[in-house]
Amino acid sequence: MHKPAYPHRKAHQSFTPESALDQDLRRDKEDIRANQKPPDGIHRRDFIKRTGLALAGVTAASTLLPSIRRGMAAGANPTEITFASAKFFGKETIAEVVQAYNSSQDKVRVTYKELPPPSSSTEVHQALVQQLARRNGDPDVFTQDVIWIAEFAAAKWALPLDEYFKAGTMKEYFPGVVDACTWQGKLTALPWFVDSGMLYYRKDLLEGLGAKAPETWDQLIDSAKKLTSSDKAKFGFLWQAKQAEVLVCDLVSFIGSNDGSILKSDGKTVSIADDAAIEAVQLMHDFIKKYQISPEDVLSWDEEPSRRPFTAGQAAFLRNWSYVWKVAQNPAESEVVDKVGVVPLPHFPGKKSAACLGGYQYGVNASTKNREAAVEFVRWMSSPETQLRFATQLGLCPTRAAVLDQPQIAQEQPFMQQLKGVFIGAIPRPVTPKYPQVTLVLQSEISRALTTGDVKGALQTAKEKIQAIVKA
Amino acid sequence: MAIAKTLTREANLRPPEIRFRIWRPGPVLLLVPALAAIAAVSIYPVILGLWLSLRDTTLASPEDTFVGLANYQRILSDSQFWNAWAHTMEFTTASTLLETLIGLVIALILTERFLGRGIVRAAMLVPWAIPTVVTSKMFGWLFDGQNGVVNYLLRSFGLIQHHVNWYGSPDTALWTIVIADVWKTTPFMALLLLAGLQTIPHSLSEAALIDGAGPWQRFWCVRLPLLAPTLLIAAMFRALDAFRIFDLVYVLTGGGPADSTEVLSTMTYKNLFSALQFGYGSALSTVMFVTEILIALGFGIFLLQKFKEIGQ
Repeated sequence: MHKPAYPHRKAHQSFTPESALDQDLRRDKEDIRANQKPPDGIHRRDFIKRTGLALAGVTAASTLLPSIRRGMAAGANPTEITFASAKFFGKETIAEVVQAYNSSQDKVRVTYKELPPPSSSTEVHQALVQQLARRNGDPDVFTQDVIWIAEFAAAKWALPLDEYFKAGTMKEYFPGVVDACTWQGKLTALPWFVDSGMLYYRKDLLEGLGAKAPETWDQLIDSAKKLTSSDKAKFGFLWQAKQAEVLVCDLVSFIGSNDGSILKSDGKTVSIADDAAIEAVQLMHDFIKKYQISPEDVLSWDEEPSRRPFTAGQAAFLRNWSYVWKVAQNPAESEVVDKVGVVPLPHFPGKKSAACLGGYQYGVNASTKNREAAVEFVRWMSSPETQLRFATQLGLCPTRAAVLDQPQIAQEQPFMQQLKGVFIGAIPRPVTPKYPQVTLVLQSEISRALTTGDVKGALQTAKEKIQAIVKA
Repeated sequence: MAIAKTLTREANLRPPEIRFRIWRPGPVLLLVPALAAIAAVSIYPVILGLWLSLRDTTLASPEDTFVGLANYQRILSDSQFWNAWAHTMEFTTASTLLETLIGLVIALILTERFLGRGIVRAAMLVPWAIPTVVTSKMFGWLFDGQNGVVNYLLRSFGLIQHHVNWYGSPDTALWTIVIADVWKTTPFMALLLLAGLQTIPHSLSEAALIDGAGPWQRFWCVRLPLLAPTLLIAAMFRALDAFRIFDLVYVLTGGGPADSTEVLSTMTYKNLFSALQFGYGSALSTVMFVTEILIALGFGIFLLQKFKEIGQ
């Protein structure tokens, strides 16, 4: 047992050539396997000196091996890359996951640069744009909200990843997410996690009516009206129409559920004033004015104001993101623990349900000087194992369908598995590099349509303005 | 020695203003750091903003060319700009008028002697000391459409039948923001006017009293004319500040519903920092800058007239 001859690996490193060290390590392993048989040759003297410590050495060897490897890595100059991401956390932080990657291998060393949390997405966007516009390769890897993917791809800031991730590999992800990661036929982002809009409903209230979870808007209106008119619920259906990004998210799922769209997939044809879209926006207006199942307050509500009455037990239905589930199941904050169900949002008769896709995805800087290392890192970050880790430790829903079926998820985040159906139907917001301008027009015109009731006029104006933007 | 003395005497005999024409590098050199700092943080950004406003720079796209006055043409034909401009003017006028009037009333009360005046003066400043974002959140709750105390009170007194959705209706949203701003900034006006009132000699009011002037006459003919310069300066500060209104709108409504609370600052912010249209956004901020100068000039001319009147 020669291993304990070098209990201090730093001293060891300083005078042993690497090749010898490699041999050492290999022998180490063989020794352990060969039941502590002492080797012949150059290590004999050491062996004789240290026989007394042989037993301790066995245990020491197994614990020291990984650290020796890391020490070697430092000696072999691993490729240094940087990774910038918005701040997410749960039981673990992103920094800890990156640390895990660093210690899992010795070729790449990643430095994590923390950006503000996703709630300050304007600041995250600004920070990324300022960095990427410099084209100096820093950060090598970044994460981006799905709505920025086209913008970053069109500016040629994001490296196309097709040669590294073939179509076959991409089939393992949810198709909607892969669509969102693709710009003009090129894969320019790699999926990280997904979120989407969904319908929360009160199981107890619907059971009282003898109704099922609604599949069409008519069913939802019917149940909501019955529940509000019999005073079982103060509000029927809560959603968000504040003049903000969330209004566009709601809009996408309403229009999508009528098989309509805002912008056709060519990125140039504006379809926001087509019949399907008009019908959908009219329905949004009718929820408030005609059917009166949504209070006028939704016009000034974003996520949290609409969530509060629902978890206070005042509403029958709520459209919101996946975070609401945890709040609803927390007895300290919720009156409706175990009374809430979740399904995909309803749709128009004969059409399919649509959810607005959200979430952050990986991108590789097109100016990176360490392309291979950066790709290796995102490959690891997007691997089933790491996605599972993000799901169980940070509560971020995996973008790989297979990971959602893992037993650990059933154990740690049982709610996620119910969402599979929702995520499969998730569709992206208009895919265009001018999205930041398009969304401002949509926010103002849809808000106008809903407050004034002039749906056709507002959508026509929106169409003209968006056409001017995407043409330029 | 004698020559030197003669020279000195001659120098002393020269008219005094000539001395200022002598080039002395010392004082100028001492001014350089301050001038450089002002140039770096104030003049350079203004000029850069002007320069950007003549280009079509968009950070996220390769566009970056000189376009002359195209951005300004676009502003003139942009209905959203005029919408925001009108709201900004409405807000500035309403909040400045209300704050000046209420501030004047408060100042007149606080200038009188009464028990606990010190405490009242200090307490009055509390709204002004609260960060605007906190004020915004507070008024968000007060005027909440469902659980807000304003709706509750109005309904208890039978003034409204149904809850009003203050921030969700284009008719009420902007006025709710004006109310929040008046609550927050009236103390500032009151403080300035109080300072102004205290510079007016008490003897003048007393003299008027002896001449048989009533309280209204003493205010209208004695104190108000003497307070006018302070009043104008305070109103100018307030108007310039109100014109830049951003935080209340940003936190409370984000410009909605239906752009009914969109003001120039929020519109400029959206164009500059959400859409990253640096060219168009800079043109918008230049227009704001010029409008501010015009407002300041308007007040300035008015002030000069007042000073002349008083001088005579």
